[in-house]
Amino acid sequence: MAVATQTSGSLLPQGVGRITRTWRLFFLGMILIAGFGLYAYLREVSSGMIVTNMRDTGTMGGAPWGLYVVMVEYFIGVSFAGIVIAAVSRVFRIRELQPISRIAELLTVGSLMVGLLAVLIDLGHPIRGVVNMLLYARPQSPFFGTFMLVAMGVLPASLVYLYLGARQDAAVVAEQPSRLQRLHRLWAAGYSDTEAERLRHRKVMFWLSVGIVPLIVVALSTEGLVFGIQVGRPGWFGSLQGPDFLVLAAASGLANLLVLTAIVRRLLGNTDRIGPSVFKWLGRFLLVAAAAALYFMIVELITLMYATPEHERLLADELIRGSYAWIFWVSIALMAAGLVLLLVQAGTRRWQIGPLVLASVLISTAALAERYLTVIPSQTHATLLPYEPGSYFPNWIEFAVVAGLFALGALLIGLFIKAFPILPLTDDEEVIADA
Amino acid sequence: MAKYSMVVDLDLCQGCRACTEACKIENNTGSGIFWMHVFRFEEGEYPETKMSFLPRPCQHCDNAPCVKVCPVGARFKREDGLVLTDFDRCIGCRYCELACPYGVNYFTWQSPEKSHYQDVVDWEDDDLALVTGGLVPPYKNPDLDLKYGEEQRYTAGGNHAKGVIEKCTFCVQRVEKGMNPACVETCPVNALIFGDTDSPDSPISHYLRVRQPWRLLEEAGTHPRVMYVGGKPPNPSLKEIERPKAEV
Ligand code: SF4
Ligand code: SF4
Repeated sequence: MAVATQTSGSLLPQGVGRITRTWRLFFLGMILIAGFGLYAYLREVSSGMIVTNMRDTGTMGGAPWGLYVVMVEYFIGVSFAGIVIAAVSRVFRIRELQPISRIAELLTVGSLMVGLLAVLIDLGHPIRGVVNMLLYARPQSPFFGTFMLVAMGVLPASLVYLYLGARQDAAVVAEQPSRLQRLHRLWAAGYSDTEAERLRHRKVMFWLSVGIVPLIVVALSTEGLVFGIQVGRPGWFGSLQGPDFLVLAAASGLANLLVLTAIVRRLLGNTDRIGPSVFKWLGRFLLVAAAAALYFMIVELITLMYATPEHERLLADELIRGSYAWIFWVSIALMAAGLVLLLVQAGTRRWQIGPLVLASVLISTAALAERYLTVIPSQTHATLLPYEPGSYFPNWIEFAVVAGLFALGALLIGLFIKAFPILPLTDDEEVIADA
Repeated sequence: MAKYSMVVDLDLCQGCRACTEACKIENNTGSGIFWMHVFRFEEGEYPETKMSFLPRPCQHCDNAPCVKVCPVGARFKREDGLVLTDFDRCIGCRYCELACPYGVNYFTWQSPEKSHYQDVVDWEDDDLALVTGGLVPPYKNPDLDLKYGEEQRYTAGGNHAKGVIEKCTFCVQRVEKGMNPACVETCPVNALIFGDTDSPDSPISHYLRVRQPWRLLEEAGTHPRVMYVGGKPPNPSLKEIERPKAEV
């Protein structure tokens, strides 16, 4: 068992437990932003959702699902890639991706938590929401998948995955005296590094990896179905919503994973553990996902342009030339630009971190914009009865709450990095061989 | 068991929106909320324009998409045909609102005290108390605060609550007492007919024997219990005019 990336001056590896001034500032900043988001949300709780810009469809001409639902779709989408990368690298023995498996798992857990929080924030009665979804759950509703499957299935499974995958490392760091020792001991929870225990651990991890991917695919497909099964809303109804959701989820998730990996690499002093091959793999995956996402976007555009049903055509007009056109074209341009950046690197076979991060940011922003376009225009401009067209754009309360969610996610990830080695200390190669 | 339906005779409707008013008064709905809305449409270009009207209550669909998507069963269909919301159970996700192709659902974006025209009416006014006897705030109605139906669920809109979904209930509180919904009762030209379609002797059954009804957005497969006679189904060439401009 090889312990890697020992930081000089600290007994714990990878800067765990060492809170520098920059880290303090980071935590403070994130707490402030999250606090501001909480303030905005509390205003919403006390005065009602009237303080947001959401309104009813129909006579009010608004969008009852606004930025929060866009963010639910985005965050849950981001969670998809992390766990899949971690599982796939274990099952298919992609050695190059092993060092970032924990980063990937952490991204999944963090975005799932924030995504679920966004679901609750969007409810008129959040507490009743949790209670009644337990008491009266109706699995026939795709909302069940959005919330219960994710809250009761995917999130616990991802947490168990993260927990078990790191137990071996927990046992290693638990031996070092530190303020975090109790936490590490708890994490290791009696794990003894015997041959039998290791073998059992490896087997469990392998089968968990095999099992978790279908679970997450089913749960996340229901995210697309939330929209796809709605006959009464032009632009939503269709069998492609499920796959479309997954493709965009893969692109945005990989993009976020790539950025987080680059940040972690930087934090650990440009460690060799995260070498060029990691980025090469991530870049290739992202290339495929972004190409598929762009393909879906273009197919959607063409379908809309030739749409015969009158309502679909009106919606297409609104997207292509109307009030949503700037978001529509910017999202396509960003996705295409990100893809070109990746293609150039693939062509020259030189995967560089800077351009990769830039491509990731472009693709992730495009995915977010695309989610916005899936959720909003069908509400304001695609009513089957001839209501006057409506409008919606989030206001500061909604932006503040969403910024708070991002800050909370960053805080969670930051705290984890400071509490536990973010790169596996042990070489997983033997794990794979045994499994 | 009675099966309730409504017929809207578009040849009679004159677009006066008395039904809209009656609904608001009966159900004490807040500002900007119209459980019964009457479209006023304009077609063609000036001077060749034509006006038409289309009252739009909840269609109380037999194959209601709003019921199907509700994650907690708060939106439900009764055996007598009414589609209702259990306000005690609704979690305010607004999924039913988006699943409904007719745009009849309204979320309570704020508390009823604030949404009940408090900026234009002084509810503490002494003259108003003369009318209400000062018993309850005038925007409240004890009838709406009861549980109704075999299921004994809190479905009549109550005195409204923040953070739930509401819509036309066919005035369940009146129907249970054998009365017509307020809109039907108020229509000055009898363009709205309500009753039990399972009973061959009911006025609505008589009506349906002589007039051929059509349903709104038939292609959506929702099987509405509200039927229209006369007029013609709306199409995108109709322009809605005079949409109520009230803000919530
Ligand atoms: S009109 Fe809308 S709200 Fe009413 S029953 Fe049909 S789908 Fe549900
Ligand atoms: S808003 Fe209420 S009634 Fe409508 S789907 Fe959600 S829980 Fe059900």
